[in-house]
Parts: sequence; structure tokens; C-alpha cells
Amino acid sequence: MSPSFLLLLLIPLVPLSLLAILSLIVRPKPIRIPIKSRHVFITGGSSGIGLALAHRAASEGARVSILARSAKKLEEARQSIKLATGVEVAAFSADVRDYDAVSKAIDESGPIDVLIVNQGVFTARELEKHSVEDVKFTIDVNLVGSFNVIKAALPGMKAREGRGPASISLVSSQAGQVGVYGYAAYSASKFGLQGLAQSLQQEVIADDIHVTLVFPPDTDTPGFEEEQKSRPEVTAIIAASSGSMKTEEVARRAMDGIKAGKFTVSCNFEGFLLALATTGMSPQRSFWLAFLEVITAGPIRLIALFFQWDWYNAIEKWSKTKNK
Amino acid sequence: MAAVSSLSLVITLFFIVSLLIILALIVRPRPVKIPIKSRHVFITGGSSGIGLALAHLAASEGARVSILARSVSKLAEAKRSIRLATGVEVATFSADVRDYEAVSRAAEESGPVDVLIVNQGVFIGKELEKQSAEEVKFMIDVNLVGSFNVIKAALPSMKGRGLPASISLVSSQAGQAGIYGYTAYSASKFGLQGLAQALQQEVISHDIHVSLLFPPDTDTPGFEEEQKKRPELTSIIAASSGSMKTKEVAKICLDGIKAGKFTVTCHFIGYLLSIATSGMSPQRSFWLAFMEVMFGSLVRFVGLFFQWGWYNTIDKWSKQNKTSNSKLA
Repeated sequence: MSPSFLLLLLIPLVPLSLLAILSLIVRPKPIRIPIKSRHVFITGGSSGIGLALAHRAASEGARVSILARSAKKLEEARQSIKLATGVEVAAFSADVRDYDAVSKAIDESGPIDVLIVNQGVFTARELEKHSVEDVKFTIDVNLVGSFNVIKAALPGMKAREGRGPASISLVSSQAGQVGVYGYAAYSASKFGLQGLAQSLQQEVIADDIHVTLVFPPDTDTPGFEEEQKSRPEVTAIIAASSGSMKTEEVARRAMDGIKAGKFTVSCNFEGFLLALATTGMSPQRSFWLAFLEVITAGPIRLIALFFQWDWYNAIEKWSKTKNK
Repeated sequence: MAAVSSLSLVITLFFIVSLLIILALIVRPRPVKIPIKSRHVFITGGSSGIGLALAHLAASEGARVSILARSVSKLAEAKRSIRLATGVEVATFSADVRDYEAVSRAAEESGPVDVLIVNQGVFIGKELEKQSAEEVKFMIDVNLVGSFNVIKAALPSMKGRGLPASISLVSSQAGQAGIYGYTAYSASKFGLQGLAQALQQEVISHDIHVSLLFPPDTDTPGFEEEQKKRPELTSIIAASSGSMKTKEVAKICLDGIKAGKFTVTCHFIGYLLSIATSGMSPQRSFWLAFMEVMFGSLVRFVGLFFQWGWYNTIDKWSKQNKTSNSKLA
């Protein structure tokens, strides 16, 4: 009787020890990023998720700067934020592909506390039908452009003595967690942000700068409306696995995640499961989430394989009907 | 007591067998083998390093080999060295992968491709702050955009080849985990994963099969150059994995391509890393899928230990360097 009782006691001991070990080893250590009275700089801030983030930051008392290409859209954005929150945001017109222009804008705006790299373009098309120019455009804006923005902002961010923890957020996409039919270029550019973020965090942690990756699902932005008109049928079928969200909701989740200093921020439940499945070698700063990741890793991979089965069946069926 | 333990044994066995059966039924795409002999193998970055070793191997296995690279003289040397070693004449094409027109012309001249190995790559390890915007753009243009150019150029000819065709992308362990000093390089290699996952879905119905190859540090001429200049911290962290000889990497990679695997790793640590980073990548082998499901949890736990080690190292190193800097001041 005694041995089996002892055995029963051992059962909860395993998860408890795991939790205890994880609480000791998770790195980097948890952090909170304040927003109020701090300088928030948002690229692609004149529309979509960027604009919604600018609204949020302004209403939370931040000093906000937005960067985008079109001076007209920037002006509209400024007006809309002033109307909604009474706050004046600074607007800078530049193309993220132009390092010197970005550098100039960032210098003018002053040292940044919270950088949100959010600009992005997307076209869903089979690689065979996708022009080389558009592939290059997607990667140049979404990936190289992000490097330009971060490089330009880093010196100022490091030099902000005594101003508290700084944050660099990159707006990725669920297409940056899983590559899907029609998204070769877009997924490539967004997967790239993961590599950038993991390396960057190691380089800037000693300067109290904290990196965040945000993974929105399909979001009802003007950009998305455009994209939906021309995306391949198969892409729409597969993307339906996740569902879409409203821009304000995505911005709210994103901002909360940035303030909580999370490395990975997901926006809905499917996104959360996807984040668990694709955690890979990303750092996890919360030992509770680390615990969840460890416990669920195996079963979630099984679920992921079921999704692959479903998707490849759909592709097979669709290509057979097309050939007829 | 004995009844309980034999019951738990039976339940465990039942669970394992059911899992294996389920996986055997659901893994997609279905397994495939890619023949090499007498087929056209086209290798970019084929004049040195891993690409050259792959060209040697493919030639010795009876393939018709084409290699593409920038330098005409290195291409000629490569051609000579393969002829000496195997007696086989390989076709050479000089082009910069960033130039789509040039790559397109080369692909057309070489004839329809059966096995495409996108292997060109440049790497410069440096902190992002110290790296120039041009260097960042260079790495992403060659490693990522260049790969798109090569694939787009070869893809039309690869359809309807009669036998399964293959597109392989040579990534790196830096394409599975981003480390200090590798922001641009990791970004370019992570990008290949997104490309590969999407591409496989697009080309499966044309009997074209995508492979991602993940070599560790490999003793190539490119690597020698890089080692001299990369940040100290990068070397400390990368030492977690160890390095391999070019010939061995090439052999393991070619075997993986022939086995039609989506993910090809080169040593045990690489294999563990691939389980940790299997993410949403397809798995065509139900045995490997079984490993991923059974060991995913343990591997994530180990991964977190590595992060702990790395961040402690970074912490220690930056404290040392701050003190030495202030001493200088």
C-alpha cells in the first residue's frame, strides 16, 4: 500500500518540478514596457494596423511619430488621431527601402523608446505567376526595409540613458509562422523577421532593448481588401483555417503584448495554438508559457500534421478538378 | 502491483502503435524517391564549398551536372577538378543570382532541370549596428531574392519531367535559430523556410518535391573567411553545434535529397534542432513524424536550456566588456 501511495505523490511532482526549473531558466528575464509619456515610432503608420496602433498609443499618453510613403495619407492619419484623441502626432514621409531617408526621419523625430516596425506589402500569387519585380518588392519592403528602420533607430535607442526599457516590435503575420500556397514571397519575407528578431534580441538585450514579434491573422485592413480580390482560390481555402479579425482588436492585442514585453504576441486562439506549434528556438520570457510550450509540443505537432494532411488533400482535390 | 504494471505496459504499447498507424495514414505529402543517375542536376554556387562537393557527388553518381556561379575562373577550376576526379564533363554557367535575366538565360541554355539545388550563399557575421545597410541588403539579395530568381527561372522546365523532380534549398542552422551576429544571415535563411513551405504546396501537383538542407558550420573557403571576422560572442554560441567537413555534408545532403525529405539535417545536434523547429513544416516519413510528436516536448525543454546558456554567456561577456571599456575611459 505504501509504495503505490508514494508513487501517486510522485505524479504531481513531475509538472511541479518542471515549472520550478523553468521559472529559474527562462531567458531573457521578464520585463514591462511602459507606453505613457514615451516616444512611440510606428512605420506603415498611416493605415491599417499601424494607424490603429498609433491611435492606441496616442490615447495611452505616448508621444507618437508615424512614418509612411504618402504625405497625403499621413496627413489624413494625423487628422483622424487628433479628432479621436486630441493628440498631435508627428508624421514623416519616407520609403523604408531608402536607408538615408529613413535615417533622416528617425533623427528628426528624436530618440525612440518604442519602435514598431509595421510596414508591409502583400500579394498572394503562385510563384510561377508572381513577377520577379513584385517578389523583390515584397522582400525589400517587408524584410530589408525592417532592417533599415531598426539600424537607423538603434543608436538613438541605445543612447537614451536612464529612460527605462526600450522595445523593438516587428509586425509579422501568421504567414510568417506557416508557409501557405500563394504566399511564397510574403511568407519568405515574414519568416525572415523571425531570424532577425531572434538574433537581434541577443545583440540588444545588454542595452535593455526588448524585441517583440506580433503575429496577426487576416485583418480587415484596406491592404487586405485589395489582396483578397486577387488571391488564388487554394490560398483562400487554406487561410480559412484561421479566420479574420478587426483592426482595432489586433492593435489592442499587439499593444498589450508589447507592454508585457513578450517575445511572441498572438492575436486570437488559433494564433496562440500556431505560436505554440512554431515556437522553435524562440526565447520564452514567461515560465508559465514555457511550461505550456513544453507540455503541448508533442501533441501540437500531431495537430499540425493533421492540418498538413487536410491542406494537401484540399490541394490534390482542387488540382484534379482543375485538370478536368 | 504486477497487474498494474503490465496493464500500463499494454496501454503504452497500444498508444504507441495507434499513434504510428494514425501518422502512417496522415503524413503528407506522401513519401517519394528522387533518382539522380542520368538526370539533369543544376547547382547554383556550384564552383566552391558545399555546391562543388555536391557537383562532384552528383557527377560520380552518373548525373548530367550543370553548375552556376559568378566567377568564370572558379567555374573553370571546378570543371577541371570534377573531370579529374570523375571523368565527367559538367556544364558551367556564369551569372549573378541577383540578375534574373542572366539566370533565366543560363537555365534555358542548360536545358530542362530534374534536380535543382539552390546553394549559393554569402555570409558576414557582424552585429547589426556595425553592419552596413549595403551588407544587409547584399546577404538578403543573394541568399533569398536570388533563390527566388533561380527557382522562377527553372520551374517551368521542371514540370512534366516524367519522374519526380526536386528543388533543394541549402539553408543553415542559422536558418533554424537566430544567434548573435547573424541578424541578416539568419533572416535570409529563415526566409527560405517560408518559401519552401509555400512552394511545396504549389508544386506538389506537378510531382516536384522541395527539400531544405541544414548544414552546420562547414569547413568551406567561405567559412574560413567568415571565422576570421565574426564577433567573439558568435563563435562562443555557435560552438554549441560543432563543425563538419564539406564532403560529409554533401554526401548527407544528397542522400536526403534522393530520399525526398523536406528537412535534411547533417548530424545529431542538427537533427534535434530540426525536431525543435519542425513548426508547421510537412513531414513525409511517419517514423520521423513519430519522433517529432514523441520528443517535441523534451526538445523544447532542452531548447530553453540552450537559451538560458546563451543569454547567461551574453550577460557575462557584456559585463566584462563594459568594465574594460570604462577602464580605457
